[in-house]
Amino acid sequence: MDDRKPSAFADLVSGSCWVALAAAIMIGSWRMDRLEHLQASIYSAPGIVPGLIGVALALMGLVLMLRAWWAGALAGAGRPRFAWSEHARLLTAVALCLAFAIGLVGRGPPFWLAAAIFIAVTVFAFQFPERRAARTLLRGALIAVVYGLVSGYAVHYVFQELFLVRLP
Amino acid sequence: MFDGLIMFGHSIASFATPTTILYALVATLVGLVIGALPGLTATMGVALMTTMTLTLQPNDAILILICTYVGAIYGGSRSAILLNIPGTPASAASCLDGYALARQGLAGRAMGIATTGSVLGTWIGMFFLATLTPVLGEVALKFGAYEFFWLAVFGVVISGNLTGNDPLKGWIAGFLGLFIATIGQEGLYAHDRFTFGYHDLSGGIALLPALVGAFGFAEVLTVMRDKPRDVILNSFDAVIPRIRDVLQYWRTIIRSGVIGTGIGIIPGVGEDVAAWSSYAAARRASKEKEKFGKGSVEGLMAAETGDNACVPGSVIPVLTLAVPGSAPAAVLLAAMLIHGVQPGPLIMVNSPQFVFDVVAMMLIASVAILIYGLTLTRLLVKILQVPQTLVMPVIFVLCVVGSFALASRVFDIYVMLFFGIAGFLLRRLNYPMAPLVLGIVLGDLLDKNLRRGLVLSDGDLTPFFTRPISVVLFLLIAGTVLLNIPVFHRAAVSLWAYVSAPFRRTKRPDQPTSRRPHD
Repeated sequence: MDDRKPSAFADLVSGSCWVALAAAIMIGSWRMDRLEHLQASIYSAPGIVPGLIGVALALMGLVLMLRAWWAGALAGAGRPRFAWSEHARLLTAVALCLAFAIGLVGRGPPFWLAAAIFIAVTVFAFQFPERRAARTLLRGALIAVVYGLVSGYAVHYVFQELFLVRLP
Repeated sequence: MFDGLIMFGHSIASFATPTTILYALVATLVGLVIGALPGLTATMGVALMTTMTLTLQPNDAILILICTYVGAIYGGSRSAILLNIPGTPASAASCLDGYALARQGLAGRAMGIATTGSVLGTWIGMFFLATLTPVLGEVALKFGAYEFFWLAVFGVVISGNLTGNDPLKGWIAGFLGLFIATIGQEGLYAHDRFTFGYHDLSGGIALLPALVGAFGFAEVLTVMRDKPRDVILNSFDAVIPRIRDVLQYWRTIIRSGVIGTGIGIIPGVGEDVAAWSSYAAARRASKEKEKFGKGSVEGLMAAETGDNACVPGSVIPVLTLAVPGSAPAAVLLAAMLIHGVQPGPLIMVNSPQFVFDVVAMMLIASVAILIYGLTLTRLLVKILQVPQTLVMPVIFVLCVVGSFALASRVFDIYVMLFFGIAGFLLRRLNYPMAPLVLGIVLGDLLDKNLRRGLVLSDGDLTPFFTRPISVVLFLLIAGTVLLNIPVFHRAAVSLWAYVSAPFRRTKRPDQPTSRRPHD
């Protein structure tokens, strides 16, 4: 787990998100069918439990907000400063993972090939700065492609052929 | 007693086949590598292995998962000692003294101590698994709707309190998990809740894709976010464990084993808390307190014994109450259900042999880690040097396979993605994942039993607060919550000081202070 303590402002924002979610849960639970036409007891209504969970979440979200407020969240302390360059690696990873899982898997190419493409592109992308500095881009690309193909086929073989698990 | 021994003997005999032994050795090795590689956790390893074992016989599948679990918890100590990076959160306490010993040129001895502690910890936990499961099973038979409701709340509250460093956020994560469990068709009337007409949501959020996302994809993102660090490995000497260490610290080993098992039994708390608690208890009781954190053999032994004893401990509530003692145990519970094993209060009535099968699996896993502990150090060192840039994309591919394979639904891949990104953000905001997972597991138990209880009592809340087990659980929950409120905490501390004052040893005025050098 990440040990860095989030700022009071981040706690205020997350607390308000929980309160908003809890309000939506409570409204959804209240409006949920109570199944009276099935002669069901009011105490077994499907909305009871989520409604109570919503109440608990709202209370805890409010406490979190109050705690953050006392800690100076509204005084501007700890407001995040978002810089794209600091998050380039993370955003690249998210984009590549989503592109593979949503854009490639089950959309035409066999799984081993989709996996090989994803692994090769990811390895190359994350080694790019070092490879460029060392002027070994072509070698890096070749290694990434071979590694991707071997890994993609290995995953296919172990799961589908050896353990008879269906792949996407 | 003898029935248990005979059943245990049967279990050992049934596992003594070349195929089963091969499964155990391979699974432990996989677990060890997963545990040793920073960023890959035991929960993720067990979840991914569940996918691989779908087509196997139940006993073989559960054996593989238990070996992976034990191997992963043990494997974390390797990177803790050699790199000062805990391979799993459970090994964080081992970094303190393990790495300090390695810096003194004693990495091999440290690894030997970790192996000894892990094996002995697993055996102590195994002993309690065999002896406490039937007893707890008897108690669980007395549980009705009211008790199961409080048990679910207790699990979430205690897990939120003990995991992470902010109980409020732990509880929020736990209640979020409980809410997630209510999505889909509810258990009494099959009425759709929060599905918004989307058919895939009617089946609810499956535990395994959610776990793979929260522990797998989120870890991949965490590791990929940071620039890879240069791996600086310590040299190591002989890794053969010393008998002298065991004999010298036998009290520490037993104490840590008992603490680890006890923490394992508490729902959703897990190995990291077990390791830290054992470490703290060892330090308090030690005659060599000053060595802790600077390469204490006793400290490392305590941490390793505690976290591995927690593994069998966390399986005890899985078997008797169908409530997981840790996040990897939640996956184990899901795997048991997938394979048609029905854990819960009736397990000692319907399938007592299975309980002893699990005990035998723990023994096999401990023997496997002992073998690898003595032989595989050089290979693990090589594996630790593999760049994470190469490992993480493959792990993500396995996350996709793992979430899809269970029900062959692409929707489950999207669930994994959602929980991965949400899990990553929540971790950054200091929300622990274990209560969230426990909430998802316990949500159905809470939902059905609260409504059943209310229907049985016609809306009267009295039975929730008057039945003996219910009232104990309620008081534990209330106490846990109130002790986190400063004013109540201060009042409780003052009250305790007042009540315990007559029992405390008073110091004679002429007694020299130097007689208590270790306080």
